[in-house]
Amino acid sequence: MDRIDHLFNHYANRSSSHLIDPEGIEELCSNLEVPHTDVRILMLAWKMKAEKQGYFTLEEWRRALKAMRADTISKLKKALPELEKEVRRPSNFADFYVYAFRYCLTEEKQKSIDIETICQLLDIVLGSTFRAQVDYFIDYLKIQNDYKVINMDQWLGFYRFCNEISFPDMSNYNPELAWPLILDNFFEWMREKQA
Amino acid sequence: MSNQKKRNFQIEAFKHRVVVDPKYADKTWQILERAIHQIYNQDASGLSFEELYRNAYNMVLHKFGEKLYTGFIVTMTAHLKEKSKLIEAAQGGSFLEELNKKWNDHNKALEMIRDILMYMDRTYIESTKKTHVHPMGLSLWRDNVVHFTKIHTRLLNTLLDLVQKERTGEVIDRGLMRSVIKMFMDLGESVYQEDFEKPFLDASSEFYKVESQEFIESCDCGDYLKKAEKRLTEEIDRVAHYLDPKSEEKITSVVEKEMIANHMQRLVHMDNSGLVYMLLHDKYEDLGRMYNLFRRVTNGLLTVRDVMTSHLREMGKQLVTDPEKSKDPVEFVQRLLDERDKYDKVISTAFGNDKTFQNALNSSFEYFINLNARSPEFISLFVDDKLRKGIKGIVDVDVEVILDKVMMLFRYLQEKDVFEKYYKQHLAKRLLSGKTVSDDAERSLIVKLKTECGYQFTSKLEGMFTDMKTSEDTMRGFYGSHPELSEGPTLIVQVLTTGSWPTQPAVPCNLPAEVSVLCEKFRSYYLGTHTGRRLTWQTNMGTADIKAVFGKGQKHELNVSTFQMCVLMLFNNADRLSYKEIEQATEIPASDLKRCLQSLACVKGKNVIKKEPMSKDIGEEDSFYVNEKFTSKFYKVKIGTVVAQKETEPEKQETRQRVEEDRKPQIEAAIVRIMKSRKILDHNNIIAEVTKQLQPRFLANPTEIKKRIESLIERDFLERDSTDRKLYRYLA
Repeated sequence: MDRIDHLFNHYANRSSSHLIDPEGIEELCSNLEVPHTDVRILMLAWKMKAEKQGYFTLEEWRRALKAMRADTISKLKKALPELEKEVRRPSNFADFYVYAFRYCLTEEKQKSIDIETICQLLDIVLGSTFRAQVDYFIDYLKIQNDYKVINMDQWLGFYRFCNEISFPDMSNYNPELAWPLILDNFFEWMREKQA
Repeated sequence: MSNQKKRNFQIEAFKHRVVVDPKYADKTWQILERAIHQIYNQDASGLSFEELYRNAYNMVLHKFGEKLYTGFIVTMTAHLKEKSKLIEAAQGGSFLEELNKKWNDHNKALEMIRDILMYMDRTYIESTKKTHVHPMGLSLWRDNVVHFTKIHTRLLNTLLDLVQKERTGEVIDRGLMRSVIKMFMDLGESVYQEDFEKPFLDASSEFYKVESQEFIESCDCGDYLKKAEKRLTEEIDRVAHYLDPKSEEKITSVVEKEMIANHMQRLVHMDNSGLVYMLLHDKYEDLGRMYNLFRRVTNGLLTVRDVMTSHLREMGKQLVTDPEKSKDPVEFVQRLLDERDKYDKVISTAFGNDKTFQNALNSSFEYFINLNARSPEFISLFVDDKLRKGIKGIVDVDVEVILDKVMMLFRYLQEKDVFEKYYKQHLAKRLLSGKTVSDDAERSLIVKLKTECGYQFTSKLEGMFTDMKTSEDTMRGFYGSHPELSEGPTLIVQVLTTGSWPTQPAVPCNLPAEVSVLCEKFRSYYLGTHTGRRLTWQTNMGTADIKAVFGKGQKHELNVSTFQMCVLMLFNNADRLSYKEIEQATEIPASDLKRCLQSLACVKGKNVIKKEPMSKDIGEEDSFYVNEKFTSKFYKVKIGTVVAQKETEPEKQETRQRVEEDRKPQIEAAIVRIMKSRKILDHNNIIAEVTKQLQPRFLANPTEIKKRIESLIERDFLERDSTDRKLYRYLA
């Protein structure tokens, strides 16, 4: 326990409050030899149940490292692949997916995320499993004008889309059902391209 | 004799078996046989009925019933065979007569014989279950005469020939026909059907097959139907005169099939004479005939209805999408009303007010009226025209009739909310320009709309009328407390409550000094008596009456819009003004100003102002001066432009946009209402129910509904079910 706390203090040193701040996280990433924007950091945040983007509290830090049985940087680094496997387990991934969205809601009462951030997030979170869908959808998001932000309902809708709809033929997609409108529009756009 | 038991006193037949001499039976039979001969030879007068009856009775009594019965049959058969030879020998026309006569004779004889043999009929025949005398007599006739090979076919052919002759116009002996055919009927239903009716129907079928083919090649639809009707009537007449009534239905079916059912399509679609021709030319009699004939056959009316419907839809579609016809909205609507009247008349006069045709008419109108997105606007303009023009002399009842007809068209509209928007705009203009002909007529229409659409549709409209009334009272109060203003220009103000009237942006405008002073006085008066309110002058909606004196002293009173007044008053202080000067002085926005100047300077008969250059349009470099030579035969000249008109393209877009915006909260309200009561509902059902709820106002777009659902999800009114993506749940 002491070693975990000790490790925490090392990164929390710079901030005035007793937290690991964005700069601390950056240092942590470089120590772990993981890029700052890597999905594994997000996974770590999930494991911590971190509430505020860019900050880790002591409690959150303890929670994750204890569960991962890591009290040094090298142990933490070695535990990352295991963490990834755990997160990718279907039972956990849905939860992680929701978490990823919420984690980006930085303002109080914020309910939606701007397109640019969403594109990055999609890439990080779903890029490795649904490469094609993510790439095409990101393309679409960038050229469409109907929506400037994405809400949780649409975020979840896309995940269901990736899981249930065969791609790129989308033969089992029906825009008359309860899919979010943005996906109906995406579907139309894809069809036009394929024609 | 005493002490004997009491017994019921009975009379018994003499049981003692009398042994009768067989010769007795023969003798008795001979008597009877001879009698039968005499009866058949019409020589019965000398016979004693009593004696013969007793003889027959005795035979049966002495157990010679069988001999009697057999003898009767043999004797009668022999006679009938003889008779049939005689009938067969008859030539030509007398064949039938002979047959008929012999038949009558036979019946008479049979009756007499039956009477004589009555005891045998009731006892011997009853107990042995043999055929009774009368039916036996008929059967013998049937077997020996009618079915006699030399008679059978000839008889049938003779009868059919006569029918054929009658069909081609010859007169035949109907009494004889009736008698002979009744003979068949008397011989039994199966005899009638087998030996006469069935061949008759077959022959008729052939006859009409051929005739209908001839007619259809040579007649037009109207004539053909007349002929068909005539044939039908004839056949019914024929049955009444000499056939079994049960045959009526069968023969009419034959005619209906051959003359109508087989040629239905060809008749209805005939060029220049078929259904469409009849409809276009109001051929009520022909149409009525077609209706009555076609309703007799399966799918007959369906065929007529379908052709009428597609014709209506086509005609309506052309009418409604023709750009020429859309130029004048009032004409457009009048045309629709005329067409509806026309077809209404057809259905009531010729189609017996058949409900299915009424429905077809309504669905067709509903179809094409909505093909033109401007229909709601045009209908409102039509109403405006009727309620605004000086229709003095037209009785209130007539106005009611017109409004009722307009309501009919209104019901067909899918976008009733668009109509509402235009109607409000036009009503506002009517009320404010004082141009509504009859308050009663206006109110009557509002009541009709309320009945049709519910309270919300019309509640704000009532507010408009209230404002007008209240303003009158306010004006009285204003002048009452400012008696010094009775000299000088008269100001009439209508104070409009913002929510009730169609929203207009306030347009800037510099009023002439005399007017603005007055307006300010009014403002302080009003705000003095009504605290907490704000007044904004709607300069784009006002009018003014100005007295003008022109170059040669011509005096006129000009009725103009507020903008026009501002422009004209400038010329009290200047002879000539440029466009820019006018613009600067009045601060009226460019598009409004140009329109205003155009109506003052470019309209023949109303050009109180002259413009240089004399082009049609107002240019920003133009200059203006008073037209001193202005003349008009009227003292009062109306130049105002505050009349409801067909919208320009950009105005139309704007209105459409506002309508779309207004629909959003209505859709959301419907969704919330439905979800509140159902708690959980799947996607397709929500779409269906919302559409249904909103249908009295407009046709809701499923995509728009989806958008609203998502918006409600975002605002936490609804959520999706976590397991079944198709379900939505209401969040309290």
